[in-house]
Amino acid sequence: MLGFILRRLVSVAFTFIAVSIIIFLMMHAVPGGPFDANDMPVSEAVRAKMMAQLGLDQPLYVQYLRYMWGVMQFDFGVPYQSPGESVLQLLSRAWVPSLVLGGLGVLIGAPLGILLGMAAALNRNSWIDYLASAVATIGLTIPVFVTSMLLILVFAVWLKWLPASGWPHPERWILPIIAYAAIPVATYARYTRSAMLDTMSRPFVTVLRAKGLSEQRIVFQHVLRNSAIPLVTVFLPMFIGTATGSIFVEAMFRIPGLGAYFVSSIETRDYPLEMALMLMITFMYCIAYLLSDIVYALINPRIRVGGAE
Amino acid sequence: MHILPKLVGALAVATALTLPALAQTTIVAPGQSTTGTYMDYMKTVYDRATFAELLQVPIATFDKEFELTPMAAESWSQSEDGLTWTFKLREGLVWSDGEPLTAEDYVFALQRAATSGYDFAWYWDFAGGIKGWKEVTEGTADVSTLGLTAVDDLTIEVTTTAPKPYLPSVTSLWYPVPKHKVDELGDDWALNVDTIVSSGPFEIESWEKSNNAVVFTKSDTYTGPWQAQIDRLEVDPSLGAPEVGLPAYLAGDTDYSFLNTGQVPVAMAAEPDGIRKNAVFATSYISYDLESEPFNNVDVRRAFYHAIDREELTSTVLKDIAIPAGSILPPGYPGYNPDVVAQATFDPEQAKQFLADAGYPNGEGFPEIEIWIREEGGYNGAIIPAMAQYIQAELKEILGITVNIRQLPGADWMDGLRGAKNNIFIAPYEYDYLDPSNFYGIFFNGGRHNYFVPEYDALVAKADAESDWDTRYALYAEAEQVMIDQGLIVPLVHPITTAIISGELGGEASTPNALGFTPLDRLGHYFFTHLTK
Repeated sequence: MLGFILRRLVSVAFTFIAVSIIIFLMMHAVPGGPFDANDMPVSEAVRAKMMAQLGLDQPLYVQYLRYMWGVMQFDFGVPYQSPGESVLQLLSRAWVPSLVLGGLGVLIGAPLGILLGMAAALNRNSWIDYLASAVATIGLTIPVFVTSMLLILVFAVWLKWLPASGWPHPERWILPIIAYAAIPVATYARYTRSAMLDTMSRPFVTVLRAKGLSEQRIVFQHVLRNSAIPLVTVFLPMFIGTATGSIFVEAMFRIPGLGAYFVSSIETRDYPLEMALMLMITFMYCIAYLLSDIVYALINPRIRVGGAE
Repeated sequence: MHILPKLVGALAVATALTLPALAQTTIVAPGQSTTGTYMDYMKTVYDRATFAELLQVPIATFDKEFELTPMAAESWSQSEDGLTWTFKLREGLVWSDGEPLTAEDYVFALQRAATSGYDFAWYWDFAGGIKGWKEVTEGTADVSTLGLTAVDDLTIEVTTTAPKPYLPSVTSLWYPVPKHKVDELGDDWALNVDTIVSSGPFEIESWEKSNNAVVFTKSDTYTGPWQAQIDRLEVDPSLGAPEVGLPAYLAGDTDYSFLNTGQVPVAMAAEPDGIRKNAVFATSYISYDLESEPFNNVDVRRAFYHAIDREELTSTVLKDIAIPAGSILPPGYPGYNPDVVAQATFDPEQAKQFLADAGYPNGEGFPEIEIWIREEGGYNGAIIPAMAQYIQAELKEILGITVNIRQLPGADWMDGLRGAKNNIFIAPYEYDYLDPSNFYGIFFNGGRHNYFVPEYDALVAKADAESDWDTRYALYAEAEQVMIDQGLIVPLVHPITTAIISGELGGEASTPNALGFTPLDRLGHYFFTHLTK
């Protein structure tokens, strides 16, 4: 197991370096620079001075090595669109709302989805099953900005139960959390239903029934555990995707989160921030898959990480 | 017996008198950009933090009738030869930290702009015409050679390269920078609420950098004209998108919101008294790379000029959001000339004839072209993509020309325009100061289009320096005639913005001007200081 983890960590390091090179090259391949976006041209002299200040006059490989040297010391530079703070400071302030709302969305949505999927699987072809598929289909097909707008329209504008948008007060969190939860509920309902139905048709369940075990014990102790693999596979990537903020949800609900920076860093050629965001996401996904693999082994002894050791 | 009613009456009067004094009036307003770097207009215009200019007092500014009103300046005068302007500042103006506001702070603001990066260098070179500006921004002359002097604490002298009769209106974008703060902290003074100082009608209370939301409060120290009549102003740029703003408005979270095309009829039906329209002083037009095929041929450009049906365009796809443009100048703008506008006719026969004269009868042999448009937010975001598709269909139908549309991010589009990486563009432009030289300047001696048309440049230069206003306007009209004769641009439309405002808002700024328009935050200083609730 330890050997497996170490080998995986080495491969994470290689992935990290490969991604950093690709992102860096792509980022600089996009025409224009941080001072080209505006209607009024900056004079050449001033522009050259600013480019030199940011080190952008150096050859690309020098810029890359310099940046990565900084990264190794946890220095991701200063974001061009927010001078006066470091990239890390920006991330740590902007991530809070995204993590709270997106994170709660998944943490609330996933168990709800599992319950819904279980109810559907145990009552196959009943109205509960149909309702669950309807919920799952709607949750997955309606884009989140439409869900958000509908939520605001119904609960804030028509019923006036909740505020439409805004961040600091927890009563303003409810609608965005629901918007975020839609996808985890739908995804988990579908995965749980199909995984459970698949497990329940296996011979060992028949054996358990023949042994006279109660249906409850069969479901909770055996079926659910054996159906857990796909649920574990989706969880961490989904959590990362949601808890780093959706630009749509954050724009609709006026949340000062991380989501918009993924787009604005590209638009404004904010190289340090763009690199940091991409490296962060890469790193988190690598770790997420590694953790998922370890969890597989824990919940299902038939899976042994590290092959045929 | 009679004492009770009296007591009650006295109590009622007392309550009525104290309540407004106790109650804080807060206005929540949409902002414009969810990102912003410095809370300092004179450091960066385009990337400035939300309404940074509200913190500072300009030399002069415009009221809702577009009359120029002195702000920090008490008066100004022009020398005999027209080259030197003297601005007298009001006494007693201070920074919010108690330091006196002096002529030096204004001079320093422009000296720094010229030397250390500022996306409005062009403005002070062309519009201001400040002596030595070009040399200093290009790095070939020292900043001390600029035609700017703080004669004493309250007197600023500006020397221009040629007479600039409209210079006072240019000073509406001239804000002071606290030199004492820059000496202490450098440009970083404008990054932190704790170190930001203000000189204008508002102070800053907080700044949320993740969405550029800012809370302003009425200044305790500002003694100049136009004091704020509200206590707090909360500006949230996330409300700037009508899709977010209108629901928030309906839920009572903001005091006004801008509307998109689809929302206009709904809002008009719901709250007809709350609707405010504004003709933005802005124009969208087609521009070309004049050097390259096929647009180096004047007949091709003339054909395009007559091939656009602006009336149909603005009554169908752009209904409620734009009006036809026959000139680069919008209606109501100084120098607007109906004779110029009348020439921008939709004339398919003439357009076809021009194209045939250019050697492309019925579009035969004409290359497939790609028109570049810029990704836009705000009013342009609603207008430009729809308009591009309309033009695409019309050029095909009338001239037999195949047009593709390519939308580019701002930086790439600008790069393409300046570097002549494409040959045809749709370009929007909104005024910066109230004088025809502003709009004609964008094509002057390179400008933002790399246009070098000697005949045009000569007329514009002459008009700029002319001190007789009728003669000036006539010269600008002649310059625009050159644009028409050479088909330099195709004026398309002027945008109209629509907003819905709460019935709770009052004050002069909440009602339309003589032209029937309400400029709202387009005239920030006027609007937020003449608004009550």
